[in-house]
Amino acid sequence: MHLPDFNYYQPETLQEACEILGRYGAKAKVLAGGTDLLPKMKQDVLAPEALVSLKMVSGMSDIEKVPGRGVVIGAKTSPNDLVNSSVLHENFMSVSEAAHSMANNQVRNMGTIAGNIVNAIPSADLPPILIALSATVTLVGPVGSRTLVLEDFITGVSRTAIAPDEIMEEVVIPEQSTTGSAYFKFGLRHSGALAVVGVAAAVTMQGSLVRDVRIVLGAVAPTPMRAKKAEEILRGKNVTDDLIAEAGKSAAVECKPISDIRASEEYRRDMVRVFTKRALRKAIYLEQSES
Amino acid sequence: MEKYSVIGKSVPKIDSRAKVTGQAKYTGDLKFPNMLIGKILTSPHAHARILNIDTSEAEKLPGVKAVITHKDVPSLKYGISPARWDENIFCIDKVRFVGDKVAAVAALDEETVYKALKLIKVEYEVLPAVFDPIEALAEGAPQIHDEYRRNINTEIHQNFGNVEEAFAKAHLVRTDKFIGQRTYQCPIEPHSAISMWEGGKLTVYCSTQSPHYFQHYIAREFGLPMGDVRVIKTYVGGGFGGKLEPTGLEFAGAVLARITGRPVKMFYDRHDMFAHNRGRHRQIMEITTGVDKDGKILGMHANFIMDGGAYTSLGIASAYYAGAMLTLTYDFENYKFDMIRAYTNLPACGAQRGHGAPQPRYAFECHLDNVATQLGIDPLELRLRNARQPNTVTPNEFKVNSCEMTACLEKAREISDWEKKKGQLPKGKGIGVAVGSFVSGAGYPIYRTDLPHSAAIIKVHPDGSAATLYVGATDIGQGSDTVLCQMAAEAMGYTYENMKIISADTETTPHDFGAYASRQTLMSGAAVKQAGEDVKNQLLEMAGVMMDKNPGNLDCREGVIFSKLEPEKTLPFTAVAREYFVKNGPLVGRGSYTPPKLGGTFKGAPVGTSPAYSFAAQISEVQVDEETGEINVNHVWDVHDCGMVINPALLHAQVHGALYMGMGESIWEEVQFDAKGKILNPNMSDYRMPTALDMPVITSALVESCEPAGPWGVKEVGEGATIPTMGCYANAIYDAMGVRVNSLPLSYEKVWRALKEKREKEKGGGKKKK
Ligand SMILES: Cc1cc2nc3c(=O)[nH]c(=O)nc-3n(C[C@H](O)[C@H](O)[C@H](O)COP(=O)(O)OP(=O)(O)OC[C@H]3O[C@@H](n4cnc5c(N)ncnc54)[C@H](O)[C@@H]3O)c2cc1C
Repeated sequence: MHLPDFNYYQPETLQEACEILGRYGAKAKVLAGGTDLLPKMKQDVLAPEALVSLKMVSGMSDIEKVPGRGVVIGAKTSPNDLVNSSVLHENFMSVSEAAHSMANNQVRNMGTIAGNIVNAIPSADLPPILIALSATVTLVGPVGSRTLVLEDFITGVSRTAIAPDEIMEEVVIPEQSTTGSAYFKFGLRHSGALAVVGVAAAVTMQGSLVRDVRIVLGAVAPTPMRAKKAEEILRGKNVTDDLIAEAGKSAAVECKPISDIRASEEYRRDMVRVFTKRALRKAIYLEQSES
Repeated sequence: MEKYSVIGKSVPKIDSRAKVTGQAKYTGDLKFPNMLIGKILTSPHAHARILNIDTSEAEKLPGVKAVITHKDVPSLKYGISPARWDENIFCIDKVRFVGDKVAAVAALDEETVYKALKLIKVEYEVLPAVFDPIEALAEGAPQIHDEYRRNINTEIHQNFGNVEEAFAKAHLVRTDKFIGQRTYQCPIEPHSAISMWEGGKLTVYCSTQSPHYFQHYIAREFGLPMGDVRVIKTYVGGGFGGKLEPTGLEFAGAVLARITGRPVKMFYDRHDMFAHNRGRHRQIMEITTGVDKDGKILGMHANFIMDGGAYTSLGIASAYYAGAMLTLTYDFENYKFDMIRAYTNLPACGAQRGHGAPQPRYAFECHLDNVATQLGIDPLELRLRNARQPNTVTPNEFKVNSCEMTACLEKAREISDWEKKKGQLPKGKGIGVAVGSFVSGAGYPIYRTDLPHSAAIIKVHPDGSAATLYVGATDIGQGSDTVLCQMAAEAMGYTYENMKIISADTETTPHDFGAYASRQTLMSGAAVKQAGEDVKNQLLEMAGVMMDKNPGNLDCREGVIFSKLEPEKTLPFTAVAREYFVKNGPLVGRGSYTPPKLGGTFKGAPVGTSPAYSFAAQISEVQVDEETGEINVNHVWDVHDCGMVINPALLHAQVHGALYMGMGESIWEEVQFDAKGKILNPNMSDYRMPTALDMPVITSALVESCEPAGPWGVKEVGEGATIPTMGCYANAIYDAMGVRVNSLPLSYEKVWRALKEKREKEKGGGKKKK
């Protein structure tokens, strides 16, 4: 339980940061809050030669509603920033709630949205709801920036589409017709527990008609996954309790959980069923209560 | 006038300012000139022969000052339990669990230590290992210690009265089987020890629950007179049973310090703590009870097996405690107890809050609810019918003086609204009851000796403006320094605010066995009371001369000496104390405590004896999510009979803390291993202790009680409230959902599975009927 040796950089611009990253290639790591990275280094899972801290790089810490773009969230925004953002409260309360379900207060102050995404472990709490809301991520590299759909960005356990010399600058939740969204995290105690399953749902309702729906499952596959068959059961239909139950059952079949020290595969599947139902009900209810 | 002026009040904790300001220094905070840092290398295999250890690369690393293995340390086996000394400072021929101690390094800094550990090359021949106690006991299982055939560490067969006859007469004889789990105490402060030599004298600063046992075993291991070993307790961040016995840190640190001639600080990190363990044993428990038609218990048979891990630790006592404590709460005459403690290739288990008692109590309390259900009797009523009464003797010959078991149950019933709730809460909600009892100090010390159990000295300062209490009693956060100062001030007729305390340093404070078995308020308290009275008597003698009065007619309270006949005639404590010093030199009071001879003469009779026993009833209300099995504990009512209360705030804090631990063990906590004996969750993330958000509303209530064997009538509280909790929750879950989970922890997934099986059975049953 001791940090291995590494070189430490504290650049002041993204450009400078990308240059240092470029020099080291895969041997360097971006350091944001360090709440994922430093434990991994202490446990001998990772031993990067260099850490490039984003601490002195200004910006990337606001949450703003930008007309034409949607809600733009800086990469260095902490989970507690998401919890306390009035922009999110007004537009996507479900994101604040997902952030609030993470870790404990100290870690929610230290961590960042980009760290949670780039770390890419299956139980991470922010990706499912962000994917359900069709979020995109913007990456800055030595020769400019590119934008990817978050759903395509996470490619495997601890694997993403980011290049070694790229830095995530922002996460954007685009303007959309979504009428309600919800995230349910199921962990094995009431705080400080990783998700055994996480389920996010976003719906576009017209009265009781489901015009569109996106269901994203966390912690039950190598990456957050869409429950597309479950979505199909609902899309274009008038919502009923039976249909919601059927969607839950479908999601339980679609997911690909493993058994580990926290839960068995069988239990995880059934929890996907239960929380898909609950997330859908909450997302739809929010819409109905407003109309 | 109130009966007491200092005790019975929630005075502020004596160390609270130091702790909240960060001034309090724990062993890990201390630094000495030239101090080295040391760490122990442990085994990666659960069972393996050591073929060769090559330390040469590690020794060459710049900054490394010493590397030691079994060749450099005494080979004398040790252990906290003289019945089985089975540990070596470092393994000699083989390692017996993942984490067994193999070598140690001292270096200039922590970084170098970790690097050096990686450079020690140990060649192992891996042996077959066994992780389950039943498999370990089977013929042909891997032999863990050559001396203990079939891996039997200890075997107990006790038989009181005639259980067979009782069962033959019974209206109902029922057997149930339950399984516990391994848990770990998880004190917030990791263990550490700083060892240093001055000539032939060894001083060890450490995080300990008992400076005395540390001193005793360190002296024995190195062949030193006790007087040449000084053990100093610093502030301690919790122990809960896990810091009672010396660890490799003190032994290895002492050798490294002698070789290098420098102070050496050794420490465990969180992972090391889990591997060192000494936490709760996993027990497999079969209980059979015979009752008459009214539910009166006629006889009981407890048939247990416990997984001891690779070494004995306090496990022999744990094994006896497991059965011994079952006879306390209910009055029955016929009792049989069978137990085998098996060695396995897992970390050694020891004493954890409540010692061997909580898991058996869980089994017994669930089992009794099953009996009550079968007889159609309210479970609380069944307990009242069997509740032990004061001034009785248990079948295993424990003498019980004060005992308010009945009052505890009745009060718990009343304040929880039991009668309106039991069986009548909406689906998903349930209420359950369980009881418990615990010793107020063990009747006999861990090794055989006729030393008093506690002793105290009070020195009044020359001008009387302060008095210092010297006790070996060990404050590990529970607040003994505070309550003992309250007791000293009360006995002296002095004020708490003027008390100072020096405790738990074997060189400056008098002997005491330390913080375990919930002993200090009663035992150390008795010694302190005697010392305080000794001061007061000498002071009144002096005052008699100064006031020209018969000292027998004088008394002292809150620092004022007065005549009982003419209360307006007074002298300040300070003036008399000063005069005493001028005339006679230091004003010193002395006290000591030895319990009376207790218990029977059968094998194992001493374990569980105590001058006094606490009693408690707990009722909990839970809510279970039918779809997920998630458990929310909404409210717990704990009603305690713990005698006279010295400090109500600290007492209720103990109840909250004990309940917190009991609750963690009930629902969340379990040390898990992979197929090769490696711990899977040696961290606070996956070893899930409850958080603030998991805690229920707690109502901690008391019943009137006064214990003749305790000073001012005190008894224990520190461990008692852990004991009923697991059974109490299991019974509440049963009331809520009609399912019984027969193993700990009562995890969400287990409850979910039980509910699922119940639904499937009901469906299947329905089909058959058609
Ligand atoms: C006790 C504890 C509990 C936790 N509980 C939860 C939980 O309940 N739910 C949950 O989802 N997570 C949990 N976590 C994980 C962690 O806190 C979060 O994932 C957090 O958001 C990570 O952010 P960070 O800034 O600390 O990441 P870091 O550790 O700094 O970085 C993580 C990874 O992201 C990369 N990275 C960071 N920022 C950027 C960027 N801008 N551009 C490119 N790469 C970047 C780093 O190089 C690294 O590979 C927990 C962690 C701890 C220690």
